[in-house]
Amino acid sequence: MAIIETKNLHRHYQDGDSIIHAVDGVDLSIQEGEFTAIIGPSGSGKTTLLNLIGGLDTPTQGEVIVDQKAIHDLSDNKLIEFRLRHIGFVFQAYNLIPVLTAQENVEFIMLLQGQSAQERKQRAQELLKAVGLSQQAHKRPSELSGGQQQRVAVARALASKPSFVLADEPTANLDSQSTKDLLDIMHQLNQDEGVTFLFSTHDQRVIDRAQRLIYVEDGKIKTDTQK
Amino acid sequence: MKIILNIAWRNIWRNKLRSLVVIISIVLGIWAGVFVSAFSFGLNDQRKDALLENQFSHIQIHNPNWKDQNEMAYTLESANKIIENLKGDPRVRATAPRIIANGMCASAHYSGGVQIYGVEPEAESEITGLSSKVDSGQYFSAEGRNPILIGAALAEKLEVKPGSKVVLSFSNADNDIISASFKVRGLYSEVSSTIEKIKVYVRASDLQTLLGEGAESYHEVAALLYAEENSDSLRKELAAKYPTDLVESWKELAPELAYSDSIMSQMLYIIIGIIMLALSFGIINTMLMAVLERRKEIGVLMSVGMSKGRIFMMIIIETFYLGLLGGPLGLLLGYWSVEQGAKNGLSLEVFSDGLASFGIGTIIYPNLPNSFYFGTVAIVLIMTLFASIYPARHALKLNPVETIRTI
Repeated sequence: MAIIETKNLHRHYQDGDSIIHAVDGVDLSIQEGEFTAIIGPSGSGKTTLLNLIGGLDTPTQGEVIVDQKAIHDLSDNKLIEFRLRHIGFVFQAYNLIPVLTAQENVEFIMLLQGQSAQERKQRAQELLKAVGLSQQAHKRPSELSGGQQQRVAVARALASKPSFVLADEPTANLDSQSTKDLLDIMHQLNQDEGVTFLFSTHDQRVIDRAQRLIYVEDGKIKTDTQK
Repeated sequence: MKIILNIAWRNIWRNKLRSLVVIISIVLGIWAGVFVSAFSFGLNDQRKDALLENQFSHIQIHNPNWKDQNEMAYTLESANKIIENLKGDPRVRATAPRIIANGMCASAHYSGGVQIYGVEPEAESEITGLSSKVDSGQYFSAEGRNPILIGAALAEKLEVKPGSKVVLSFSNADNDIISASFKVRGLYSEVSSTIEKIKVYVRASDLQTLLGEGAESYHEVAALLYAEENSDSLRKELAAKYPTDLVESWKELAPELAYSDSIMSQMLYIIIGIIMLALSFGIINTMLMAVLERRKEIGVLMSVGMSKGRIFMMIIIETFYLGLLGGPLGLLLGYWSVEQGAKNGLSLEVFSDGLASFGIGTIIYPNLPNSFYFGTVAIVLIMTLFASIYPARHALKLNPVETIRTI
């Protein structure tokens, strides 16, 4: 069953007199349990495509359907609520809340969802254990290494039990050991728990581990290969 | 909600210096506002008390016609009965009758218009403290013929000193001009130099004899109360008791005093309001910086599903924390310095001349009604709310996609 579907998706930007076609007619379908990477050179439209799928940006034309729900014409507030319930985000620059500890960062999403304190604490501890950071639960982001912060970000993305996780260049700021650790964790979550991952990347180490590669250039899908 | 309070609290301490600068400016602003207010209240109260104790008293009773025409004939019908009555009232601290004539006071060098107050020496001293105001010479005693007390400022013009003679001229009830020689017994000084130039005091019995009036003949009965708050109720009681006389409280006698009393608090609320308005722009600036600095973070919060309402609340709460930390500290500091000032007084020796013509002593005792502190708290809260809205709205306008991309 398709978790994500886009139909004739367009996103155009005005840049002076010219119009940039950042995403130019993309039809895409992602199934549950996939471990997929969107690849392509800088400026090819990877991130814009990811933002559209994540409901962070609104398409100029076309449809985005997530979990059988069309999200391209939802209001801002509805979109925020939708993201909270359905989508987990991992950002290139980790983007944890600096004033909260690792565990509080993970719990934060569940808190927004309105889960009980007991539930939150238990799940946050499980997730931190899954990403190998039980010992660092009470440290703030500034006390963690980049790799550790990104693992907290993965735990945070999973906290809401989302339908899938969107990761925009998650390894771009990490050294190779941290990248390997992170990919191991994400791969394991994909295999054991069936978590669907969709990355944008141009990191060869990520590309090597992906099961499906979607190559984007000039806002269009050029190739789509299943390994 | 708890987590928002928690995050907001931690957020304001991310830039300690900046938050402290805002908090300190709130503290100083409120402190200054409170202190200036207390000072003004103190100044006003002292002026009022000085004028009431020296001049008006709390209640005066006259013949109704006296108010329009200060003619000799308009005396009170039963001044002594009124005095007896007032003396028996537990609310009344002192009471005194007066017979008053308008006339001229002349020496070899100068003559000028004066109000001649015929007073009962002991009673007058009790009500206005006249005896203690005599600087040179002496207060009235039973002995001596036609003694007179004149103000120091008038004495200077007349070029007289204790022991000198002056001539008073005035008319009686039949409009005959009467002149008599008086011997200067003493010179009094008032905080107000205007009064010094106009009022002269003689014994009531001397004036009554010269006017050919009986010993019961008075134009005015004044009463000083223990508590100013009782003026209105006592005025009503007396008015009912003596329907043919005109009973007035100080609010009618000196409407400008009552007016300055009532506009004082409004004026001071306006001052505090202006200070807080200026402060609130400082707060807006700080919070706007805090929001702009955290654009990306706020974008992330929106991305991961924090609703706009919650983000709005977070910024509002952060702003309130600044106000809630600074406000009470400022009030405490203000309260403390007002208490200190009230205990020791603030010396304004340097401006004593100006203050004297205004009718005030040189030591000011700041004083602030408690209600004013509550009013100030309300203003601080309202202004903080006002200051928080713009930055919070600004945070809502941020677009997650654009903010996350900025590094």
